[in-house]
Amino acid sequence: MATIVEINEQKALEVKNFEFTYAGADAPSIKKLTMPIARHNITALIGPSGCGKTTLLRSFNRMHDLYPGNKYNGEILFKDRNILIPKEDLIKLRIQIGMIFQKPTAFPMSIFDNVAYGMRLQGIKNKTELSGRVEKALKDAAIWNEVKDRLKHDASGLSGGQQQRLCIARAVAVEPEVLLFDEPTSALDPISTAGIEELIVELRERVSIIIVTHNMQQAARVSDYTGFMYLGELVELGRTEELFVTPKERLTEEYITGKFG
Amino acid sequence: MNNFIDKVFAHSTKIIALVVLLLVAWIFVVLFEHSLESIKAFGFSFIVDTKWAPNLEKFGAFPAIYGSVISTFLAMIMAVPVSIGIAIFLSEIAHVKLKTPAGISIELLAAIPSVIYGMWGLFYFVPIIRDIFGGIGISMLTAGIVLSIMILPFMAAVTRDAMNTTPDILKESAYALGGTKWDVVKDIIIPYAKAGIIGSFILALGRAIGETMAVTFVMGNVHKISADLTQPATSIPVTLANEFAEADSTLYYSSLFELSLLLLVISFSIISIAKFYFLRRKRIA
Repeated sequence: MATIVEINEQKALEVKNFEFTYAGADAPSIKKLTMPIARHNITALIGPSGCGKTTLLRSFNRMHDLYPGNKYNGEILFKDRNILIPKEDLIKLRIQIGMIFQKPTAFPMSIFDNVAYGMRLQGIKNKTELSGRVEKALKDAAIWNEVKDRLKHDASGLSGGQQQRLCIARAVAVEPEVLLFDEPTSALDPISTAGIEELIVELRERVSIIIVTHNMQQAARVSDYTGFMYLGELVELGRTEELFVTPKERLTEEYITGKFG
Repeated sequence: MNNFIDKVFAHSTKIIALVVLLLVAWIFVVLFEHSLESIKAFGFSFIVDTKWAPNLEKFGAFPAIYGSVISTFLAMIMAVPVSIGIAIFLSEIAHVKLKTPAGISIELLAAIPSVIYGMWGLFYFVPIIRDIFGGIGISMLTAGIVLSIMILPFMAAVTRDAMNTTPDILKESAYALGGTKWDVVKDIIIPYAKAGIIGSFILALGRAIGETMAVTFVMGNVHKISADLTQPATSIPVTLANEFAEADSTLYYSSLFELSLLLLVISFSIISIAKFYFLRRKRIA
């Protein structure tokens, strides 16, 4: 059984006996996983490649549903509701649980339209409201000063780091309650990475954050809680400073000291 | 020794490539040479004159140009929305198990020789058009329909390929913001694949405008301009296919060559525009 630290805060999400099987696979990629996610905190998921951390992350917004044949079992509770039920409204769910991807994914449209995209999907047409919220989102993502004079320009003209901030602005513009980060800095240089990390820490004030990362230093720098996963199971979830200094599980210790990975 | 073989290989490929260029130039020169008599006789009025009367030695290409343009235009109006629909279905909506067989059958359709479309059109569409719209059924409209069916598979297949180049991560980002399938197709996939889609349309347009066999059967070769689409008409390739055997004077002969020269110029321009789009797509990717 996994060692799971007591979480005193409210919970943003609760994973209970969760299993996930990819289409056509014999064995589940995630096995009987139970894990609480603290509200308005940053939870990092670490573990070697193939441990299931990204698979778990993509279950929170049911991204796996885009590809037929994937199977969920167990429960993921969000606001006391199991979001894994078949009739879950995925559009509403994905508005409340946003996602940032491994590579910047600016849409083929202007900077303004990129940030306004999620709001427009919700049917918000009022120009004043849109531009107000776009400005706020860009400020929240710490990129307003760089782009305020070229909002009408195509977003592909921005640098990789700027595009990733733009994606964060686009995600926070719809005011989600949870943001999922899937290795958000793996395609970025160290300076852009530092900027994105700083931004993630600031965002914690308003959203609960789950971040998957290959980089243990990154997990140690930004997160409040860290979950170590191995072979589809959660080995240990602890407060970050404790997990990295005094891991309770031998496997966790071996991983963070670089004995395998 | 190896160096020598490399050099021979490099030079022989270079020669083969040059031969292609020469061929194009040669065709152009031959067409131009044979057109000279007609160019001298009619000048620019060849293009705008509406009267094509071989017995009077009077040749105006406008009805044929008009027929080529209008039949192609009709074909494009019908084929563009349908091919986009098929491509969206094949790339985004169809179940994996249906995707491959449906995709292959579209590609097989594209491989059907155009003469078969012509025969099929003559025996199948001509009576339908006659029953619905009156007239004799051999008409501009029939030609447009047969052309649209002919270019549809190619357009759908290339449009699908262009749509398939949209990175999954980009589509997922739109879904992650609460987008529906339709939102993602309209806002992400089509804008992303735009250059490729337009390129495929222009290539199809080039094929339609030069198409001979499919339309020769159903168009009628009548050198008249009529606003009524159910009337028979002609196009440049239809005129060429029908009249070369009958060209009994050198001026008639030369006028037909000038028609083919016009067709060549039109087709070249269309392909050049398509190339421009394809090259642009490569630069973005």
